[in-house]
Amino acid sequence: MSDTPVLELRALTAGYDRRAPAVRNASLTVASGEAVGLLGPSGCGKSTLARVAALLHRPDSGALLLDGEPVRHWRHRAPRAQRTAVGVVFQQPRLSADPRLRLSDLIAEPLRATGRSQEIPERLAELTAGVGLTPDLLGRRPHEVSDGQLQRACLARALVLRPRLLICDEMTAMLDASTTAALVAAVEDYRATTGAGLLAVGHDRTLLDRWCDRTVHWDDVTAGVLSAPGAV
Amino acid sequence: MTCDAPAAGRTGEGGRWRSYGTGRRSTRTVRVRVSAALLAVTVLAVLLVPPLVQLDQQAVDLAAKLQPPSWSHPFGTDQLGRDLLLRCVYGLRVSLLVGLVAALVATVIGTAVGAAAGALGGWADRCVMRVVDTLSSVPHLLLGIFVVALFRPGVVPVAVSVAATHWLSTARIVRAEVLSLRSRPYIDAAVSGGASRWRVTVRHLLPAVLPQAALAAVLMVPHAMWHESALSFLGLGLPAHMASLGNLIQDARGSLLAGQWWPTLFPGLFIIVPTLALAGLAGAWRERINPRRRSELML
Amino acid sequence: MTERTPVLSVRGLSVRFLMPGGRRVAAVTDAHFDVAPGECLALIGESGCGKSVLASALLGLLPANAQSAGSARLGDLDLLTADERTLGRTVRGRLIGLVPQSPAAHLTPVRTIRSQLEETVAALTGARGRAAVRAAARAAADRVAFPAGHLDRHPHELSGGLAQRAATALALVGDAPLLLADEPTTGLDRDLVDRTVDELRRHVDAGPDAADGNGPGRGLLMITHDLAAAERIADRVAVMYAGRIVELTDARGFFGSPGPRHPYGRGLLRALPDRAFTPIPGMPPELGDLPTGCAFAPRCDLATDACATLPPVTGGLACHHPVTEDARV
Repeated sequence: MSDTPVLELRALTAGYDRRAPAVRNASLTVASGEAVGLLGPSGCGKSTLARVAALLHRPDSGALLLDGEPVRHWRHRAPRAQRTAVGVVFQQPRLSADPRLRLSDLIAEPLRATGRSQEIPERLAELTAGVGLTPDLLGRRPHEVSDGQLQRACLARALVLRPRLLICDEMTAMLDASTTAALVAAVEDYRATTGAGLLAVGHDRTLLDRWCDRTVHWDDVTAGVLSAPGAV
Repeated sequence: MTCDAPAAGRTGEGGRWRSYGTGRRSTRTVRVRVSAALLAVTVLAVLLVPPLVQLDQQAVDLAAKLQPPSWSHPFGTDQLGRDLLLRCVYGLRVSLLVGLVAALVATVIGTAVGAAAGALGGWADRCVMRVVDTLSSVPHLLLGIFVVALFRPGVVPVAVSVAATHWLSTARIVRAEVLSLRSRPYIDAAVSGGASRWRVTVRHLLPAVLPQAALAAVLMVPHAMWHESALSFLGLGLPAHMASLGNLIQDARGSLLAGQWWPTLFPGLFIIVPTLALAGLAGAWRERINPRRRSELML
Repeated sequence: MTERTPVLSVRGLSVRFLMPGGRRVAAVTDAHFDVAPGECLALIGESGCGKSVLASALLGLLPANAQSAGSARLGDLDLLTADERTLGRTVRGRLIGLVPQSPAAHLTPVRTIRSQLEETVAALTGARGRAAVRAAARAAADRVAFPAGHLDRHPHELSGGLAQRAATALALVGDAPLLLADEPTTGLDRDLVDRTVDELRRHVDAGPDAADGNGPGRGLLMITHDLAAAERIADRVAVMYAGRIVELTDARGFFGSPGPRHPYGRGLLRALPDRAFTPIPGMPPELGDLPTGCAFAPRCDLATDACATLPPVTGGLACHHPVTEDARV
């Protein structure tokens, strides 16, 4: 593992209304291979921060570095290599899955979008087993599976391009204890084999403490205290 | 205590299954069935009558002019003694053709423009929508007359003029739909998965708005038929000898004052009945695909 | 009425859905339970196990393709056979108060909390006249400690906690003997979860005859997948798996010692992040394609040949080989 942090946010301000930004002056570092839990109450703006870190929302000011490289463009304008280096899983699997795609297409979609269709059979088999889905579920559409099964597919989609950083925004808030534990185990298996970093955003301290190497509180992230590894 | 498998239709206490929700949708079902039957009859008549009966709708018989409905002429005859039933069927054929072509063209243009505006966003969206707003502010019929006036009378100019004035509403609907979908997490996930703007639009946004666009197209068919009739009635649409519903009513104007009601009534019914049936079916479909959007799709 | 007469008595409740193509989905199968006054029964299980369908059945909100069997007695009334008119006029709000899953969506966005409370008060209580309705609405807000200064706000101007209180106030207006809370804590942070369930507990203890504070108490049926919330509030726990209640037991014993006796309940607790944090292997079966025997057997490390037959419910437990040793050891 290198010393360059996989994700670094410096004094980031972002939101949907410039006069009232949802995120003010946030600073956060995720070291290579590190799992960081970001703890905050609901509605505090941590989901906006997660979208910025996943290159999905342009911040108003501040800097974001991926593997030490400053990010200058967001969404479609971001270079594809930078965009796909970050995998993202959202809170509500129903809204995160295109209702028309079968689960196999849902998981394989990033491979098709990046012109790597030849890898589909191999990656699909690996990931299906990895996230605990069964092959018979792959032919179904989102409305034919449960929330837990759909979230497993969404995690598989986030991992299919082998991201160096995974962002889980309240990934397990809608799920029961057993599915939560299974998804966390799948994320940790992936991280153990690839050394990817993790930013887990959530409101459950017990879960984040158990899951992550360190947990930072939203208030500390936005207070301008640059939290570095080991500085809990 | 044991119990049988649920498929056996009994429970532990041996109670019987009770059903819910009986007969509440009957009015809607009746409406759909009546609409479907009426539409089927008119479409079959339009498709089958001309090739089967081999009668000349243009056959002039001045001896039998302006006869009231009878067994030999169920809808009566017009002032040149032509059979009105046959004229109506041929007229509906032309009107339906114009309506279908115009609706199809308008939907394709509207969907493309709306999807492009919604997916691109920013200044492109603003420019396109200002143009749409500007065009919408001109009354449809006026714009239609302007377009028709540029060409010789015929089916194509009328279809073009109706299409040119009706893609605007489809563009608005599609753009609004695209904008609301664009902020969904599943679009975010596609972007994060490396999908290009084109791929997101074509693979994820367009398939989601197609049901709305298709519905708008179906609802537009009767509307386009009315416009065709209006243009023809004003003498600006199809050539006067061509049996279109608008022309038939235009021809009958004089005789209505003389107390001859049938040349006006039957073509009028031929406009109203199929369009109501089409609107009824489309309405039921609309309620099915999205009950919340009922008002937005009123064309 | 004695203390032990249950508010709600469910016997053999089953719900199934008839799907296109003649497929049948057994969403709830043969549920038996009581809810006593002053008692909270937590119905726990993962999403899609049939808990929400059970709640819809009790409220008479099943869709047209559903069929039900069994009975759910609330006083003299069977909720499953009552017609829509009875349900609307005497049951919802008056006999059952519903605490919703997402209060922000449950409240009308374009009207103030005060106007919604006043409307509910006017509809459900005997209060007549402007002043009386206004006073009763104030009292309803006071009961859940909703600050009077926030009454004229719209739902979007409230924090999650206050919105939850407003929704609870609406549920309590009719002084219903039974409260039904459907996932009342989903998406709330831990502090707010604790406060919400503590408040619910207070209303359970206070009872519908709360004027003197000595009423028999309300019954609360709380449907949740949040085990921590269930542990905090429940007197008894019903564990639902694949449409069946597989264990119905005392909450203290379930969460503490000796722990759950059904391997599924045990697996759920072991999956908690403050316990072993290990998932139950596999996934629950399809409700449309249930095995003839125990539905949990394919995921159960204790399964034997006996599990190919459906385990009978004995002593609130449906398992051929209940776990006996202490979970905490």
